[in-house]
Amino acid sequence: MSRIVIEATNISKQYTLGATGTGSFRQDIKRWLGKKTGRPNDPFFYGSNSAADTLLALQNISFQVQQGDCWGIVGANGAGKSTLLKIISRIIQPTTGTVKGRGTIGSLLEIGTGFHPELSGRENIFISGYLLGMKKAEIKQQFDEIVAFSGLEKFIDTPVKRYSSGMYVRLAFSVAAHLQADILIMDEVLAVGDIEFQKKCLDKMQQVVNDHLRTILFVSHNMQAVTHLCRQAIWLQQGKLVAMGDTSQVVDQYVGSLQQNRLRLQWQHEAEAPGNEYVRILSMELVPELHSPESVIDVRTPLHVKFTIRNLSENILLNAGLHLFNYAGECIFDVASKPVWCRAGIVEGVCDIPGHFLNDGAYYLSLIIVRDTSIPLYYFEAGIHFEVADYREDTTWFGKWKGVVRPQFPFRFEPYPALRDTQSIDH
Amino acid sequence: MSTPSRERSLPIYPPDNEPWDWEVTNRTSWRTWSFKALWAYRHLLFRFVKRDFLVNYQQTLLGPLWVVLQPVLTLVVYVLVFGKWMGIKTGDAPPVLFFLCGILLWGLFSDLFTGTAFLFTYYGSLYNKVYFPRLVIPFSVAGTQLLRFFIQLVLLVFVLGYYSWYRSFAFTPGLWLLSLPVVILLTALFALALGLIFCILTARYRDLSNIVHLGIRLFMFVTPVIYPLSVVPASVRWLANINPLSPLFEVFRYALIGQGLFTTGQLIYSTLFITMLFLLALVWFNKQAARLIDVA
Repeated sequence: MSRIVIEATNISKQYTLGATGTGSFRQDIKRWLGKKTGRPNDPFFYGSNSAADTLLALQNISFQVQQGDCWGIVGANGAGKSTLLKIISRIIQPTTGTVKGRGTIGSLLEIGTGFHPELSGRENIFISGYLLGMKKAEIKQQFDEIVAFSGLEKFIDTPVKRYSSGMYVRLAFSVAAHLQADILIMDEVLAVGDIEFQKKCLDKMQQVVNDHLRTILFVSHNMQAVTHLCRQAIWLQQGKLVAMGDTSQVVDQYVGSLQQNRLRLQWQHEAEAPGNEYVRILSMELVPELHSPESVIDVRTPLHVKFTIRNLSENILLNAGLHLFNYAGECIFDVASKPVWCRAGIVEGVCDIPGHFLNDGAYYLSLIIVRDTSIPLYYFEAGIHFEVADYREDTTWFGKWKGVVRPQFPFRFEPYPALRDTQSIDH
Repeated sequence: MSTPSRERSLPIYPPDNEPWDWEVTNRTSWRTWSFKALWAYRHLLFRFVKRDFLVNYQQTLLGPLWVVLQPVLTLVVYVLVFGKWMGIKTGDAPPVLFFLCGILLWGLFSDLFTGTAFLFTYYGSLYNKVYFPRLVIPFSVAGTQLLRFFIQLVLLVFVLGYYSWYRSFAFTPGLWLLSLPVVILLTALFALALGLIFCILTARYRDLSNIVHLGIRLFMFVTPVIYPLSVVPASVRWLANINPLSPLFEVFRYALIGQGLFTTGQLIYSTLFITMLFLLALVWFNKQAARLIDVA
């Protein structure tokens, strides 16, 4: 199958910041006058609303998608991923450029689009289905299947406002999962629902992918899911297409770009170094044990935190502490070195964080220098920033791995020996 | 524009000259125009009507009874205030019938207008999340209001029946009764046309929403709702005459209670004006809707 079903040519989307949102009648009159007098860019007519107030959400994006392909679209928040999906879904118009396509489109940009809290599950299945572009016969025929998929047979005539948020999501996704459009457009729909249900959804998507008949465009921050489901990927950054092609390559490039974190700090002149009259931080560095220079820190990577400080006091009892935080501000750990007696001069420290310990996510490290094991001398906050990428083997589960840490403890799991050798237990 | 995957795969077939099914550009394409597309979404429209109807009366004590209770309560107030205290001359017909006719038709007009004039504020988030022909929602609002109106018409029939049986009111069915569907349709179309125009304006200029409510209330007073056109002094009659709603109200009352003042010329003017405005509103709405999603 290599029939092209979506062809995007040079699409750009420009937003005017402020002006349209405030709905100023005067601005519009001025702009209109500007157009009429043939000076559309005259600052008098445009006032403050000049090029500086416009945002290019997408710039000259071109690509082709073939039937049966599953494309992942990755990029940071605000990279224009959703804008791109909205343009392809015909929700908004591009400022320039064209998207042409073959076949019907079903777009799932939000879970539960068009759901009304006062209406029953049954009624909402119909409204949501119609909104997504399903035909009456399609819904009627699949109705029982949709309800069964959601597992809400008992509550189908209850107003959805009485549903728990999990039930709501399940019903909403069940409708979406039965959408028969030729091209499916999905935005981060997996970010919701309980684990069991997420698994169900991914399986459903995998089915669609395996059919090779329907085309999927899939935006997600879940790199595992993208790598697993999609063969092609697009990486957008600030509205520009940075990379396009084979998923694993694009995702690697993208994840690599996220890790231009601050792994190393060093001060040439001690006077500029952070510190006070007791201690100065001379350097701090995170050294990952990577397999190759191109690879990124992932959950398997052992890390070494190295730092040097200058101690400015004679003969004091010093020890250092390292605090690791995630970006939610939670302290993951607080490790302290053994106290040592130090003379004035340079003091070095190394702390080893083993691989298979941290969960995936973004972290920062703070360093504290303590005197007499109880008096803080200096607290150097958020010196090192780094990210740990996800890595999984032997699993088909791609949702967010739970837990603050992801250690691999010795774990024995096997059939009980007594039973293993018994051919028959009971007949 | 070739992607790596395309290079890898088999030659393209069917040939590239296979026509595209759809196209998105910054121009309003014929697709948003097509009534075929709207027709394909008719089930959604019906569901919306059903939803609006259900949701309005869910968990209320009297439920759908409110559809007729509302005009009845208004009627009591109007009969007392405008009829008894202010003594507005309503002609030979009983004031109750006179006011009820006006209240019902005006209710259709004003509810349909206010129901559509803020579409982008109410439905912006829905419009922003899924594509469907944008006109489905205003049309479904029109459907809901027309449904309400027809239920209220039943009330009117009962009141008419009561007055002809038990009171000295002589209901004379005439050929003009046949004009009622047209009158109702034109009233609805006028409201819908204004609603489509104003929903774009209110999305663009939020200030307007405050004026719209005031405007519709004032507009009632230049429309023969609570007074017959015949009591309007000849010197300001022109004001009522340029209002395309005036002859509709007069015909409506003439057909039902045999009292109304209008000319054929006025009716033609009204019909043409409303049809033209409606077509214009459709064109404008289609053109602007896609752009307004960015604002709303």
